[in-house]
Amino acid sequence: MSATSLENPIYGLMAEFDTPQELLTAAEKTHGAGYKQIDAFSPFPVEGLADAIGFHKNSVSLVVLIFGIIGGLSGYLLQYYVSVISYPTNIGGRPYHSWPSFIIVTFELTILLGGISAAVGMLALNGLPMPYHPVFNVPEFARASDDKFFLVVFSTDPNYDAARTREFLRGLAPRTISEVPA
Amino acid sequence: MTTTATINKADLMPPPVAEIMQTRSMFIGLIGAVASVAGAFLAPESFYSAYLTVFMVALSLSLGCMSILMLYHLVGGAWGTVSRRTLEAGMMTLPLMAALFIPIAVNLPRLYEWARPDELAKNTKLADIAHSYLNPSGIASRAVLYFVLWFAMAFLLNKWSTEQDNVDAIGRSTLRFRALSGPGLVIYSLTFSFAIIDWVMSMQARWISTIYGLIFIAGAALSTYCFVVLVETILGQRKPMSQYLRSTEVHDHGNFMLAFVMVWAYFNFSQWLIMWSGNLPEEIIWFLRRLHGGWGVIAMGLVLFHFAVPFALLLSQRLKKQTTTLVWIASLLLFMRLVEIFWHIEPAQSLHHDTFHISWTLFAALFGIGGLWMAYFFRNLRARPLLAVYAPQTLRLLEPSHE
Repeated sequence: MSATSLENPIYGLMAEFDTPQELLTAAEKTHGAGYKQIDAFSPFPVEGLADAIGFHKNSVSLVVLIFGIIGGLSGYLLQYYVSVISYPTNIGGRPYHSWPSFIIVTFELTILLGGISAAVGMLALNGLPMPYHPVFNVPEFARASDDKFFLVVFSTDPNYDAARTREFLRGLAPRTISEVPA
Repeated sequence: MTTTATINKADLMPPPVAEIMQTRSMFIGLIGAVASVAGAFLAPESFYSAYLTVFMVALSLSLGCMSILMLYHLVGGAWGTVSRRTLEAGMMTLPLMAALFIPIAVNLPRLYEWARPDELAKNTKLADIAHSYLNPSGIASRAVLYFVLWFAMAFLLNKWSTEQDNVDAIGRSTLRFRALSGPGLVIYSLTFSFAIIDWVMSMQARWISTIYGLIFIAGAALSTYCFVVLVETILGQRKPMSQYLRSTEVHDHGNFMLAFVMVWAYFNFSQWLIMWSGNLPEEIIWFLRRLHGGWGVIAMGLVLFHFAVPFALLLSQRLKKQTTTLVWIASLLLFMRLVEIFWHIEPAQSLHHDTFHISWTLFAALFGIGGLWMAYFFRNLRARPLLAVYAPQTLRLLEPSHE
C-alpha cells in the first residue's frame, strides 16, 4: 500500500443506476471485464444479480451438514452410552442396544444442531450485525433501500486502479460515480 | 396486461414428441394387456396379486397428481404453474383406473382371505370382520363412492383449468379452485385411506395399522413429483417448455422429492417403532412375513434405496437444479415405489409358499397397465397448451419478474 492510501484509504468506487436492468447489465459487464471483487445493492431482490456478480454458493449448507452429523452422532452415542455402558436396564427383555428406540432422539438432535448452526452460521458468514459499513459514507447510498441501484468495485480487487476503474465505470453510463472512503 | 395479447396458444402446445410417446406407450400397453389376459388364464394364482400391485402404483400416481394439484391451488408457487397441466393430465386417467378396478372387484376371493367362504368357516374372528365391513357388497359400494368422488373433483378442476385457456378468463376470480381444493384434500386423504384399507391392508384382515393410509398418501405424493421430473426431462429440452422451465422450479421439485422421501420414511418408521416396541403377536405378524424368507432383503433395499441413498443425493443443490441429474433419482424412486407396493402385497398372498418369489405376470401387468396409463396421460396432455394460458399465475410466469 502506498503512503497516500494509508492517509486517505479508499474502500472502492460506487456507481449509481436508475433501474435493476441497468444494474444487472453493468454488473455483468464489470464481472466480464475481470473485476471479481464487486458487490451490488438494490432495494429488492433482482433475479440473476447474484450470478452476475459471480456469487454462486455460500457455505451455510456445509456448516449445517457438519453440525447436523455431529448432532445425530452425539444423540445416538449418548443413548448408547446410557443404555449399554453406564446404566443398562432390562426393558421387556429387549436388547440394551435397541436402535429403533434411539432413532427419535438422534433425529431430533440432528435437527436441533442443524437448525441452530444454520442461524448462527448465516450470521457468522455474512458478518451481521454490522454497526459500520463504508458504503454509507456516500450520501446517495441512502436511496439503496428506496429506488436506486448501486454497484461497488472494491479497492482490494487486483485490477483496481482509481483512474482506470472510474473510466471503465463511466462507460457503463451510471447516474453518478462516487469514491467510497473506507 | 400489455403482454396478454402477445401470448399465442399454439406456441404453448406440447411438442410432437408427446405424440410419439403416446403411440409407443399404447403399443407397449397393448402387448402388456394381451400378456396380462394370458396371465389371468395361465397363472391365475400369481396374476391377481401382481395386477393389484401395479394397479396400486398407477392409482397412487393418478391420485397423487390430483392431491398435488389441490395443494398447488391452495398454496400457489411457480413450481405448480409449470407442472399443473402434467398433474391435470395425470389425474384425468382416473376413468381408466376405475375400469381397471373391475378385474379386482370380480376376483376378490383370489386376493382376500375374507372373501373365501372356507376361510370364514375356519375362523370366527375373520367371519365377524367380513360380516360387518369387509364383504363384497361393502367393497363394491365403497369403491363406487371413492371413484365417483375422485372423478368429480378431478373433472371440475380440469374443466375450470380448460376455461383458463380462453382470453375471457383474464381478471376472473380463481377462488373456486381453492374452494374445492381445501375440502378436496380432506376428502382425498380420507377416501384414499379407506381405499387402502379395503384393497391392500385387508389382505391380512386381522392386522391393523392406523398410519397405513398415510404411508400410501406420502408415497403417492413422492411418485407424483418423480413423475413430474420425468415429464420435464422428456419435454423440457424442447419448445415451449424450454422457454419457461427454469432451474429454480426444477430445484423446487427436487426439494419436494426430498421432503416426501423423509415423510415416507417417517411414517414407515413410526409404524415399525410402535409395533417393534409393543412386540404383540397380532401386530408383528405383518413384519415377520415381510422380513423372513428372502423378503428381508427387499425390506433392506427399501431402507437403502427408497430412503438413505435418495435422501443423501437429494441434499445436493447441484443434483437438484437440473432435470438431467434429478431424473436419475426420480427414476430410482419410481422403481422403488413399485418395489415397496410389491413388498406390501405379495407376502400377504404367500400363505402357502412364503419365501421370496416373483412371477412373469408382474411384468405383464406392469407393461399393460403402465403402457395404457402413459398413453392416456399423453393423450390428455396433448389436448391442451402446456400452461393454463390466461391463468393469472401463467401471466406472472411469462413476464420477467424484475420489470
